[in-house]
Amino acid sequence: MADKLNQILQKQQQQIHEPDHTDDDIIQLVGFIIGDEEYAIPILNIVEIIKPIEFTRVPSVPEYVLGVFNIRGSVIPLIDLRRKFNLTPMNNTGDTRYIVMKGEHNTAGFVIDRLTEAIRIKSNRIDPAPDSIGGDKGMIYGIGKREDSMLTILKVEALLKRDF
Amino acid sequence: MDDIQEILEDFLVEAFELVEQLDQDLVELDTRPEDLELLNSIFRVAHTIKGSSSFLSFDVLTKLTHHMEDVLNKARKGELKLNEEIMDVVLESIDMMKTLLHCIRDNGDDTTIGMDLADIIGRLEAVSEGKEIPELSEDIQESSEVEETPKEEVKEESKEEEISSEDYSAMSDDEVEAEIERLLSEKKAEAKKKKQAKNAAEPEKKQPTKAAPVTKKTTNAAPPAKKHASTLEQTIRVEVSRLDHLMNLIGELVLGKNRLLKIYDDVEERYEGEKFLEELNQVVSAISLVTTDLQIAVMKTRMLPIAKVFNKFPRMVRDLSRELGKGIELKISGEDTELDKSIVEEIGDPLVHIIRNSCDHGIEDGDTREQRGKNRTGLIELKAYNEGNSIVIEITDDGNGLDADMLRVKCIEKGLISEREADAMGDKEAFALIFKPGFSTAEKLTNVSGRGVGMDVVKTNIEKLNGIIDIDSEIGKGTVIKMKIPLTLAIIQALLVGAQEEYYAIPLASVSETVRISLDEIYTVEGRNVLRLRDEVLSLVRLSDIFGVKQVYEAGEHTYVVVIGLAESKLGLIVDTLVGQEETVIKSMGDYLQGINGIAGATIRGDGGVTLIVDIASLMDMAKGLKVNIRESMQSQNKVKTKPEDYTVLIVDDSKMDRTIMKKSIDPIGIKIIEASNGQEALNTLKSGEHDIDIMLIDIEMPRMDGYTLASEIRKYSRYKNLPLIAVTSRTSKADRLRGVESGMTEYITKPYSPEYLENVVRKNTKLIAE
Repeated sequence: MADKLNQILQKQQQQIHEPDHTDDDIIQLVGFIIGDEEYAIPILNIVEIIKPIEFTRVPSVPEYVLGVFNIRGSVIPLIDLRRKFNLTPMNNTGDTRYIVMKGEHNTAGFVIDRLTEAIRIKSNRIDPAPDSIGGDKGMIYGIGKREDSMLTILKVEALLKRDF
Repeated sequence: MDDIQEILEDFLVEAFELVEQLDQDLVELDTRPEDLELLNSIFRVAHTIKGSSSFLSFDVLTKLTHHMEDVLNKARKGELKLNEEIMDVVLESIDMMKTLLHCIRDNGDDTTIGMDLADIIGRLEAVSEGKEIPELSEDIQESSEVEETPKEEVKEESKEEEISSEDYSAMSDDEVEAEIERLLSEKKAEAKKKKQAKNAAEPEKKQPTKAAPVTKKTTNAAPPAKKHASTLEQTIRVEVSRLDHLMNLIGELVLGKNRLLKIYDDVEERYEGEKFLEELNQVVSAISLVTTDLQIAVMKTRMLPIAKVFNKFPRMVRDLSRELGKGIELKISGEDTELDKSIVEEIGDPLVHIIRNSCDHGIEDGDTREQRGKNRTGLIELKAYNEGNSIVIEITDDGNGLDADMLRVKCIEKGLISEREADAMGDKEAFALIFKPGFSTAEKLTNVSGRGVGMDVVKTNIEKLNGIIDIDSEIGKGTVIKMKIPLTLAIIQALLVGAQEEYYAIPLASVSETVRISLDEIYTVEGRNVLRLRDEVLSLVRLSDIFGVKQVYEAGEHTYVVVIGLAESKLGLIVDTLVGQEETVIKSMGDYLQGINGIAGATIRGDGGVTLIVDIASLMDMAKGLKVNIRESMQSQNKVKTKPEDYTVLIVDDSKMDRTIMKKSIDPIGIKIIEASNGQEALNTLKSGEHDIDIMLIDIEMPRMDGYTLASEIRKYSRYKNLPLIAVTSRTSKADRLRGVESGMTEYITKPYSPEYLENVVRKNTKLIAE
């Protein structure tokens, strides 16, 4: 009897220490379009997605930092991903959104052309970024393969890292 | 374990407070050696520390304080007369006590640093027994002039002392232990009494025993009586982080209040005269009032009296005056003035440097002073007082004063400035040279100063606080250094200014004034733009140039200059609009935008928008590297035009035929011609800035906007004040001509006219005279 109890306890202990991985295999992402490409970021890094609001220009920063804006009492930077990816800047359309992302140390808003959808993808369907395109200061986490298309998954920490 | 840790922390907090007070009381005692009350309080402090440290078994500390207490006890009982030597030894032992306390704080015990107490204890014992001090410390020997008299005094009394001092020093360890025990219980009883006193704070305060003789604050250092009285006030120790959090919340509330006020204004405009407005107004006012009060109240909890910093100076000046062999008296006033905790912490260092400087370079030695007909003892005054939203700290000495010419020469010698710069400098600017890193007026290095670091520290620290330094000095009379520092750093008053379409907040503490100037008042000296403001020459920069703001508005004849000051320097900032004063809460822009040049942070305005707060220090740095000829760029119409094709004429007439006739007449000049068919169109063409128009020919009778209206509209713009407007019309009556002049026409030509006549008028007005 005592043995059995011990076994159960041990098993429980094990379960606590090694939670099973079945759920972790699915990664949830949010997809969006910049230019002609579809990108995605992990859903857990997103604080919120808002329609464009007014922002204040900040001097002596690179062009892709549009300025700062107020989101419920916090002042956070606004970064234009089109400019950051060296695409021609575009005026806001009805589909333009700001995605507010949170990293370990930083929070920032990013301007994107339009949202696509929430994506669930198995982690084994994600390939690491090929070396040849890793030159983007390692902004790419990996390439997600889907039935009919490819998806560039971005590294949030890299996006939020100040590089000027 | 936790209990012990807690007790230890309490002990340290208490001990540091007590030591600080001890220090101050002892220096005070120097001036009033007979004050028994003072002596008693000093004794009690030493005693308390001894008791607590023995409880926590810090043996080294206990031993030291025990011997100190010995000496003080005798002095208190009148068995020992305090003199300079004794004070030196006591002060030294207090320093050692501080070192031990620091050691305890850092390491948890008092043995790690392995302090050797034999020497100091020997001397303390000697002092307490009235013997001569063993010749171990150097600085005591220096003061030989005073040595004779006091020693005798001590010897006279030494007989009685022998007995009581034996009492202590002859005690065995056990006896000491017992004694400590007794003192501890005494202390406990005292604490209990204190607690009771607190509970019954009101009646207790009236009791004469505790409140002692409440001496009014004099210009001397704070009398201890008041200090003791204040311990009766009820206090709670609160973590600073909690206060910070509270302050942040208040900040949010202030922003909310600003927003509410703005919304109320909008609502008032829209629903003027409605009944509910009255009610809304009452609520909004009440909330805004309470918020302001709350903000002040919370700010006050973070405030500390500046005495916290001032208190260490009497001791420092005393030591310095002994070391330098000069008589120096320090007068302190306004030590009750309160400042934010974070600022109090920053202000200490600068003051130390300034006072050291005054002692070393400012005050002359006794003989020189006598020759100059001054009191042998030099006087340094340290003063603090409130001025608006800032606090002013003034350090005055009656010493040498600064020699502006000498400063200039020295700086040129050291290569800190060029000769030309030196020539252009006023006396005030020359005084500010002492803040240059690497500068020192001292002929030789002394222990005290001369390394050229000190004043630079002053400048950097004050800059960090957004403070302003002002120096005034007269040779042979003395120097006054004035530091103006904002009361608090978290919520600041700011001046909102507009640079083109953008708005910026300038901390009001750094703004000394705003002036409206005409562009003609801007001079260019060696590529720098300057303004003569009263008797000062002020460098000018445009805020929009510093921050690279797009130029969208046309500049008028006049512009606004915000004069900002930081530490010792000043700068004129040209802005396009002055919006007004607003309370702002500094918010960080996060790591991502940390340390952007010229920007200290951001604040959220009443309308929910973000406004950037200017960082004055880095702005001034940025301004130095800027080379823009403001006047030229603001008067863009002054472009040099030489050839006729550089000029443009705008013909305004609703009849196409009339326009063609005019065109034909002025064609020979070779001037560029553009057309408009009515007043409105002409005005739009002019305003668009697409063409730089030099002269206009205007018909009077036109649809949509007639010539008179057009002319008066054009004259509303200051940049078109002198644009030649020529009325070309068939209206010939005198009244019409008069109206033309009134509306701002330059000339009046009546149809029909000869082509040559029109050509000549145009040539005359554009100064394109035919060869």
